Amino acid sequence: MVCIRRATVDDLLAMQACNLMCLPENYQMKYYLYHILSWPQLLYVAEDYNGRIVGYVLAKMEEESNECHGHITSLAVLRTHRKLGLATKLMTAAQAAMEQVYEAEYVSLHVRRSNRAAFNLYTETLGYKINDVEAKYYADGEDAYDMRKNLKGKQNHSHGHGHHHHQHGGGCCSGDAKAVETSHAQASSK
Amino acid sequence: MGASLPPKEANLFKLIVKSYETKQYKKGLKAADAILKKFPDHGETLSMKGLTLNCMDRKTEAYELVRLGVKNDIKSHVCWHVLGLLYRSDREYREAIKCYRNALRIDPDNLEILRDLSLLQAQMRDLSGFVETRQQLLTLKPNHRMNWIGFAVSQHLNANASKAVEILEAFEGTLEDDYPPENELIEHTEMILYKVSLLEESGSFDKALKELYKKEPKIVDKLSFKEQEVSLLAKLGQLEEAKKLYRVLLSMNPDNYRYYEGLQKCLELYSESGQYSSDQIEKLNALYQSLSEQYTRSSAVKRIPLDFLRDESFKEALAKYIKPLLTKGVPSLFSDLSSLYDHPGKPDILEQLVVEMEHSIRTTGSYPGSDVKEPPSTLLWTLFFLAQHYDKRGQYDVALGKIDEAIAHTPTVIDLYSVKSRIMKHAGDLTAAAALADEARCMDLADRYINSECVKRMLQADQVTLAEKTAVLFTKEGDQLNNLHDMQCMWYDLASGDSYFRQGDLGRALKKFLAVEKHYSDISEDQFDFHSYCLRKMTLRSYVDMLKFQDRLHSFPYFHKAAIRAIRCYLKLHDSPKSTAEEDEMSKLAPAQKKKIKKQKKAEARAKKEAESKSEESTASGVSKSGKRNVKPVDPDPHGQKLIQVEEPMTEASKYLRLLQKHSPNSLETHLLSFEVNMRKQKFLLAFQAVKQLLKLDAENPDSHRSLVKFFLQTESMSSPTTEAEKLRWSVLEAERPSISQLQNKSLMEANKEFLGRHEDSLVHRAAYAEMLYVLDPSKKTEAVKIIEDSTNKAAQTNGAVGPATEWKLKDCIAVHKLLDTVLADSEAASRWKSRCAEYFPCSTHLEGKLSSVMPDSVYNSTRKSNENGDAPNHPMGQTELSDGQVEAFKSLSVSA
Repeated sequence: MVCIRRATVDDLLAMQACNLMCLPENYQMKYYLYHILSWPQLLYVAEDYNGRIVGYVLAKMEEESNECHGHITSLAVLRTHRKLGLATKLMTAAQAAMEQVYEAEYVSLHVRRSNRAAFNLYTETLGYKINDVEAKYYADGEDAYDMRKNLKGKQNHSHGHGHHHHQHGGGCCSGDAKAVETSHAQASSK
Repeated sequence: MGASLPPKEANLFKLIVKSYETKQYKKGLKAADAILKKFPDHGETLSMKGLTLNCMDRKTEAYELVRLGVKNDIKSHVCWHVLGLLYRSDREYREAIKCYRNALRIDPDNLEILRDLSLLQAQMRDLSGFVETRQQLLTLKPNHRMNWIGFAVSQHLNANASKAVEILEAFEGTLEDDYPPENELIEHTEMILYKVSLLEESGSFDKALKELYKKEPKIVDKLSFKEQEVSLLAKLGQLEEAKKLYRVLLSMNPDNYRYYEGLQKCLELYSESGQYSSDQIEKLNALYQSLSEQYTRSSAVKRIPLDFLRDESFKEALAKYIKPLLTKGVPSLFSDLSSLYDHPGKPDILEQLVVEMEHSIRTTGSYPGSDVKEPPSTLLWTLFFLAQHYDKRGQYDVALGKIDEAIAHTPTVIDLYSVKSRIMKHAGDLTAAAALADEARCMDLADRYINSECVKRMLQADQVTLAEKTAVLFTKEGDQLNNLHDMQCMWYDLASGDSYFRQGDLGRALKKFLAVEKHYSDISEDQFDFHSYCLRKMTLRSYVDMLKFQDRLHSFPYFHKAAIRAIRCYLKLHDSPKSTAEEDEMSKLAPAQKKKIKKQKKAEARAKKEAESKSEESTASGVSKSGKRNVKPVDPDPHGQKLIQVEEPMTEASKYLRLLQKHSPNSLETHLLSFEVNMRKQKFLLAFQAVKQLLKLDAENPDSHRSLVKFFLQTESMSSPTTEAEKLRWSVLEAERPSISQLQNKSLMEANKEFLGRHEDSLVHRAAYAEMLYVLDPSKKTEAVKIIEDSTNKAAQTNGAVGPATEWKLKDCIAVHKLLDTVLADSEAASRWKSRCAEYFPCSTHLEGKLSSVMPDSVYNSTRKSNENGDAPNHPMGQTELSDGQVEAFKSLSVSA
């Protein structure tokens, strides 16, 4: 009843609208553009039978640390479309892309301490573990759990192409990504 | 740079440049002043000082200095480049391009200026210029990857995909065999996939596929690889391979509907219209049977057949599909099936089936023919489904009965209140709808979705203040309204603009509608940084998609809606002369406020003179001492008072009209507005074009008919032409009239009559006929009223067992009421009409139905009062009676012709 597929640029306006309906953390269009123009493989949407975007995941790669890892920027599903497992499907798709395309070691995310439903999804269904607590992470003063899930990482790449033993951890995102990101960081109202 | 200066000053000049690059503006300023002390006329220093001041939000000075710089040193490419940068910072790209070109005339091989120029050319879609500049950059620096890629992309954008391929191949020729290094695998993947997509675009499918296979080991994005492969296989007609690959893709993601569509196409079992022969249906059914055995967890394989199956097999599949979802309690089930309501016969089968289930669960606790006991929640979700079903069919009383029963069954399920709120909205009671949405909201204060829904309902009920207070709950520091604006929350802008419009506050309404327009121009601006970013990042497929997206940005729905509404505002401004509009507003204000506004106006007039440079005014207050832009600029016109002072509303309207005509040429609304605007501007030939477009799109639409009649009535009643232009116009219309089939050898009166003849049974068409009859001949008013009152509301074509559904729609009944009340000005008939329709729509507040919240004994009436005692929207324009259907508010604005 709901189609799960990679997002295209044409989906971004609807993704932004979905985000504004559901979540208190919002972003300007430029931030969505930045994601899809940096990691086009890491954005997925849930599209209902009438062609409406009812959920999305917006994700990115982090290049600061030595380990190449993915990060979930934002995940939302309209309240009217719960109980379909959409959040799980979206997350699974984004994680798989991080692993296969970018050989990510792990994926991280932040979740509000009070958001039990999301917390349960991440820990029980998706296998995330608490890595840290970030005090007052959110604008309204609430703490965030910094959560992580290990991915299989590098094994997948050379699958079927034995002559290519390339590992490109750390190089998964070229350095200039940062420049554009910092200039858009304010875009988020987080 | 700074070459003409002695060594000490030349060093200072370098310091200015460095300070500018590192954003140490004060330091730069100091250095500049030190040079200017000795050499006050030094052009490049003046320019750099100006550029620095520009970054400190001192725009007027900046422009003065930079212009002086150019004047003093017109042969300096630095001065021209700086002036270009200044224009660029103000988004004046055309001017900026001119300056860069001047700079390049002096220093033709300046890489920095060439790069800057190429970005502007991409932004402005000066594609041939872009190609030229990119070629020059490549010639100057062929050892940079970015210059190869940039030249290829420029050729692609300039509609030369095969040239782009050649360039990429030439670039690949410069690479070693072991390319790419480990840290560039993804960039290289993107480049290969871009090249393959170029080959596909230029029709070389075979070459594209070969290239894809050849480079397969180097492609790390396996999903893109497969999707590209399958697309090429299908285009090459290698359907067996394509089929296999689609099945592989489905095994990876059985929830991607596009794969099913692709598979069907390979099997030649796909029709755009959804119409299939019985033979095809049989084959499709078999296909999905086998797929559903393979992908047991996919709901797509069960849902898709409901589209093509018919009659008994449809019913059977439907039952199988619905049951587990009702048992599970999936709230979106109804919306998932709602497209089936467009298939003839299916809504009846749906109703029959679910009513049977309801009955069976009530009596036996199980679905029909089963002895498995259902949990109590199954009845709840069945009622929930039925409520939405009857709502969709316009049987609001039955729908309300079902949802009320569901609420009584389990009062804690929030979704029930949301659905009841929606039913009330459709039934015509927006106040009750808002109250119910608020009830839902209060059941989970942490959920923004139900907060948003509630805000939307409140705005629909014209409770703007309350809506604002509610929206604020989801922000910190209580600045949510600004925050909603900053975050480009367009539904909010539109919904609150609509409310202001209904309440007659055109200033605030325009403010909101133009805010949406501003969001779109910001989004369009957003692309700028990506012209260089994507060339480095190599995300070229996404980049080109993004450019295409930007090119049709204004055809997306939010813009379309906002532009339509803004034009409606301008029409209203045009129709009510400014002075009276102002006085109107003033008369509603307290004397103290009046004084304040007068004072304000004087101050504004003064400010207008002072503020020659446009942006200074809005940013001045945002400058802090350090020169950083960290304080939010204060909006000089928060209530849109300046917007409604506009001298020529129709000129403003035309700006947005042009965008609509370009980006929404197939929308009736576009041409209706073009008609309205051009009639007011007395641009009769353009108005005639609009009429022709309307007839082409939908000649039988009541509004198309109205425009046609009004146009010829107006133009034919004009005094005989005197000027040359008038004579020309007259002769054009004379020549064109016979080409309008509706008017061939007929008077307008006769044409109107024939229109009625074609649509005797339709309320909206009868109303259009009656209105035109009266417009053509005001003495026929009684006849016009009678035509409307003689309309009959037939039972709609359904075989539903419960309650009669009638054909008339609430919004049409309200529109007709307004027609009787205002255009035909027959208050008695209007009142008769109202009571008659109130029987059909007892919940409508506009019609004062007996179940609506305007009745003194309504529960929502008390809710409303208690709400508004505390938070009554303290609005200068006050509340208006109008709460039903926003469209009507717009519709009442018909042409004054």
